[in-house]
Amino acid sequence: MPLVVIFLRWDGAIRPRIPGNERLRSVEVAVFEGGYGITWHQKTAAEYTAAHAGEGANVNVWGEPRMAEKVKPRILRGDPPSLIMDNRLPLWLMISTGKLLPFDEVLDRPAYGSDLPWRDLFLPGTLDTYTSGGKVYAIPTSFGAWACWYDARQFREHGLSVPRTWYEFEALCRQIDAAGIAPIAYQGKYPYYAWFTYISLLQRCGGLALINRVNAMEPGAFSDPDALKAAGMLQDLARRYFQKGSLAMSHTESQLQFVNNKAAMIFCGVWLENEQRDTIRPGFELRCFNVPAVEGGKGNPHVFNGLGTEFVFMPTEGRNPDVAADFTRYMVSLEKGPDMGASIGVISPLRGGCPPSAVSPALQSVLRMLDESMVDGTPGIFNVRLAELLLEWQQQVMIPSLAGLLHGSLTPEEFARRLDKGIAAARANPDIAVPEFKPYDPEIFGEPQ
Amino acid sequence: MKRTWEQSLFIAVFLTPAFLLFTVFVAVPGARALLYSLQKWDGLSKPEWVGLSNFAALFRDDLFRIALGHNVFLTVTAGSATILLALFFAAVLHRRVRGSAIFRVAFFFPNVIASVAVALLWLLLYSTTDFGVLNGFLAWMKETVDWPAVSLPIPFTGKPYLVYSVVPMLVWTATGFYMVLFLAAMEGIPESFYEVAELEGVSPFGQFWHITLPLIREVVVVGVVFLVIGSLKLFEAIWIMDNEWPSKETHVMATLLYQKVFSEYNVGYGSAVAVLMFVLVFVATLATLRFSRREALEY
Repeated sequence: MPLVVIFLRWDGAIRPRIPGNERLRSVEVAVFEGGYGITWHQKTAAEYTAAHAGEGANVNVWGEPRMAEKVKPRILRGDPPSLIMDNRLPLWLMISTGKLLPFDEVLDRPAYGSDLPWRDLFLPGTLDTYTSGGKVYAIPTSFGAWACWYDARQFREHGLSVPRTWYEFEALCRQIDAAGIAPIAYQGKYPYYAWFTYISLLQRCGGLALINRVNAMEPGAFSDPDALKAAGMLQDLARRYFQKGSLAMSHTESQLQFVNNKAAMIFCGVWLENEQRDTIRPGFELRCFNVPAVEGGKGNPHVFNGLGTEFVFMPTEGRNPDVAADFTRYMVSLEKGPDMGASIGVISPLRGGCPPSAVSPALQSVLRMLDESMVDGTPGIFNVRLAELLLEWQQQVMIPSLAGLLHGSLTPEEFARRLDKGIAAARANPDIAVPEFKPYDPEIFGEPQ
Repeated sequence: MKRTWEQSLFIAVFLTPAFLLFTVFVAVPGARALLYSLQKWDGLSKPEWVGLSNFAALFRDDLFRIALGHNVFLTVTAGSATILLALFFAAVLHRRVRGSAIFRVAFFFPNVIASVAVALLWLLLYSTTDFGVLNGFLAWMKETVDWPAVSLPIPFTGKPYLVYSVVPMLVWTATGFYMVLFLAAMEGIPESFYEVAELEGVSPFGQFWHITLPLIREVVVVGVVFLVIGSLKLFEAIWIMDNEWPSKETHVMATLLYQKVFSEYNVGYGSAVAVLMFVLVFVATLATLRFSRREALEY
């Protein structure tokens, strides 16, 4: 028994230490080391430390591909890093259990490089993803958008043009198919990818009013006739135009098919260029277009599924939260936006935070999409929050149902019934805290009711 | 005979390291898993005692039944194919065919490759891209001979087919090990038994059926125990081949456990799966060993 007690005590006592002078106001920043690397973050931390040396600030960035596994035990032990940047941690769970600090105090301060409050610079909706009780618990460091990607050179060579409507899109797929090229590459091993195309079609068919019903977890929202139409369109697209064998391809395999021109288009997020940067051949002109308009649909075809991504958050028990929050304000600023765009190929979540000249032509096409979505100066961005909010629903209902729809083993009606049933179960579960939801105003987004 | 003080100390010194390692890495985590299985815990907030309700939820859960069904399917299909092939190859090599030493090494080779590497290798074999050896072969067949209408490439590792596609991989990986196990047992059978059988005109199959198999029965049963344990604990093959994202169509118990704990943060439920896996493995092992004890033959 004493041995067991010793082990239990010892088990909680191991803690990695970041070298540094303890008298300084040290901030440890743990960054998921993925496609974007951590070099830019380290450089930014060094700049911040140099600029705030008088105040004793000392920001250290370290990275790790298995970041979530590394920091989880430290959160449990009450010794987390001051800032964490890894979306694979259960942020909603951390918010509901009081493990995260809000950023509101610093959000109301002027932004670096501007007289305006930092909060006012964020693109609409990008701060909403992890907002609860009116408080913002995570700050996006980049802006993500869902789009259809293509090689402009290949399109030119085959006399193809960017479609504006779903009818044109299907005609384009047939044209590509006739040329002996697979129309659409698909990351079949990860049905999650198709979710974003599906919710884009939901908006095209049923407008933001339908997106609001889905976000509000309204009973039967997925069985709405417009939602069934969207599911049917996605299933039809998969059956007729997805690359053969793509159901067994991982994201990198299918993206490789695309950059090797074996498939002409792929639905993906803005990270595509960065993820494939070592495989994109010279001459490949990566560009994107918005999910085409659906004939007879209720949605504004210029708005798109966009959201803040690569979130940074502040554990409650982290050291020097005031410095950590201020460093976040510096990192996500108008000053650093162009540098971030040029260095790691991401779009800043701030309005005007990323001039087109700072980013690649591929990301410029995303910025064009953003410009085209503007309604009276407001970017037309929407998102569906369910996948991040309901982890069990995502894993056990959403992903398998999407896989079933795309394999053809589920009809659109069965697919919708499963999603609705799962949502009803989640609503009935007292353990799931559903935060309030700020609905989109369809009229503001150019969708008169 | 009474043990002396020195003998007791000697035993204690040698047993302590193993006891310590077992306690720290098996007994304590095992006890903690059992404790978690009786609690509702998300890994962050304060655990709440819920008694057996995680187990009750487990037995009501379709997903668990499906995952258990996949384990049983893989145990039966891959397990029987492995045992039959291993017995066949061992019997053939036991007959001293030419090049048996090379075959022995070749068959055993997959067993020394890390399971993750094996899964990646088979992913390439099954790939629907240009690297896919199997689909490439099928495409070549389709072009060269009159092949019935089949849509290529076949998504062998697509979710609806993955559980079936894993079977050949498991058989390929395990056969060599069991072949060596059975061959070693066969080498211990006195040659005179076979000489008598030869004189009596017993066919090679008859010799295998009436001499070899009964005399290595105990080893075969041990092999079956290993296979049952391995199949019930199966994780890497599905996890890697389904790109770390298994779903209802592909889950086995171990992947379900991992997903519940590390993706859904339902630590109590995941621990209940772990406890049930332990019970199943324990019961299956005990049952097989009891069967083996009754049937053992001596020579």
